[in-house]
Amino acid sequence: MDITWGAGAANPVIWGWLIAVYLFLAGIAGGAFLTASLTDLFKKNGQARVIRSGAFLAPVAIIVGLGLLVFDLGRPLSFWKLIFNVNFGSVMSIGVFIISIFTVLSLLYAYLVWTSVKVGSKVQVRVGRAANETAATKAAGTVGGRGIVAFLGALFALGTATYTGFLLSAVSTNVFWSTHLPGIAGVPFLPFLFLVSALSTGLAATLLGAGTCDDLTVYKKIDIVLIVIEILLVAVLYASVRAVFFSGNLAALFWLGVVMIGLILPLLLSLYGVSRHKNLVLPSCSLVVIGGLALRCFVVYAGQLFK
Amino acid sequence: MAKHYAMVIQLKKCLGCQACTVACKFENKVPDGQYRTKSPAIGPSGTYPNVKVFFEKQACQMCQDAPCVKVCPTTASHYNKDGLVLIDSHKCVGCKYCMTACPYDARFINKNTGTADKCTFCYDTRLTKGEKPACVTTCVGGALLFGDANDPQSEVARYMATHRTEVRKAQFGTRPSVHYDYEGVK
Ligand code: SF4
Ligand code: SF4
Ligand code: SF4
Repeated sequence: MDITWGAGAANPVIWGWLIAVYLFLAGIAGGAFLTASLTDLFKKNGQARVIRSGAFLAPVAIIVGLGLLVFDLGRPLSFWKLIFNVNFGSVMSIGVFIISIFTVLSLLYAYLVWTSVKVGSKVQVRVGRAANETAATKAAGTVGGRGIVAFLGALFALGTATYTGFLLSAVSTNVFWSTHLPGIAGVPFLPFLFLVSALSTGLAATLLGAGTCDDLTVYKKIDIVLIVIEILLVAVLYASVRAVFFSGNLAALFWLGVVMIGLILPLLLSLYGVSRHKNLVLPSCSLVVIGGLALRCFVVYAGQLFK
Repeated sequence: MAKHYAMVIQLKKCLGCQACTVACKFENKVPDGQYRTKSPAIGPSGTYPNVKVFFEKQACQMCQDAPCVKVCPTTASHYNKDGLVLIDSHKCVGCKYCMTACPYDARFINKNTGTADKCTFCYDTRLTKGEKPACVTTCVGGALLFGDANDPQSEVARYMATHRTEVRKAQFGTRPSVHYDYEGVK
């Protein structure tokens, strides 16, 4: 780059796709954990496959995401300094603690879910029906401890999903990222958008992992509600910031990726699915997940390319 | 009274020779392809007979309300005892959060260290020895003034008292310590 005549602009994209994917995976992890833990806590005879899928997906997603984050550091091997040098005024510093605790809880939860599955099946296979009662009591015991982990984990999952929005919205010098809720100057917009998207994509990914199983109608209905809320939020965003953010190369990403693939198509498919096919999961859920990734990329890039 | 180091840039005196760009590279061993300061051409703009072009020296603006310090998760970016924004490279992990927050594109990840880097007003190498920054002493056009703005007798304080200067991107409320006099170029 010609520093005298080339306006001296370095690459304006400081946080690239690695960070976008990290934010996306953190959302998936949070949403998947919430799907599993809330099923576990609130649904009697909660669907084991959904719980298992979400419980296993959450730690995998967050650990891969953190891996990308660390890889993106200028000094990856010094990542531990983030834990020992704390700045309470920095959203990222607070986020480090939220995500670390969430990661531990999600691993613990996955372990508890995994062992209870093993205990259940082993006892049944070996001893047959006679031992079913003991197995049931044992399982109930784990559910007690597991309930606490599920509950605490759910709180930190909420924190993790919301944090990904706060991370960007806290950059007050970035006009796009720090957009406020219309009319309410003190409340940033992105945490809401990212939370809803996290719930939606995490739920979708969990259902994909659960595969076609029993009746998933409840989950699909929740997903429809989430998609509708997200459509409203995206519309609000579109109406409240300058049009330039949706222009150029990002126009396709926004209209095709975020709006069509991520919102409109899955909404239509889900409405159709709920009314006709109980187990039609794959197409709609995959689209939601792809749309969630498109949303993170769009927001991360739009904030940096246009200022 | 505490010091408040400040720089005043008189744009009409800058020839765009890039002597400051080079001096800074000498002084601070800035890696190839990276810059703590540069003076890009702004323009040319307008139509004949009102065509204008000028050079705007850009570097860290030494904000007094620095967004980079606020967001830094490790406290690597901090205010030193003289109120300057500096980076403790031992603490920096290279997360680039500060770079996303700096509205002046003043920062970069040093290729050699992997940590954030930017103009220091030559604090360690020159200010502490009572010398002015390398770019200031090198400036061919005499466009750069430097000193303690809290000392009414200093060159910068006297200049600012008698001239209209501006800070860049005032809308972000960063309260920069680098002041620009656009008189004669804008
Ligand atoms: S110009 Fe940028 S790097 Fe320098 S103090 Fe201000 S925000 Fe920080
Ligand atoms: S790159 Fe270094 S100085 Fe900048 S915010 Fe991260 S830790 Fe702080
Ligand atoms: S003050 Fe020093 S570090 Fe800053 S631009 Fe000038 S020479 Fe470079």
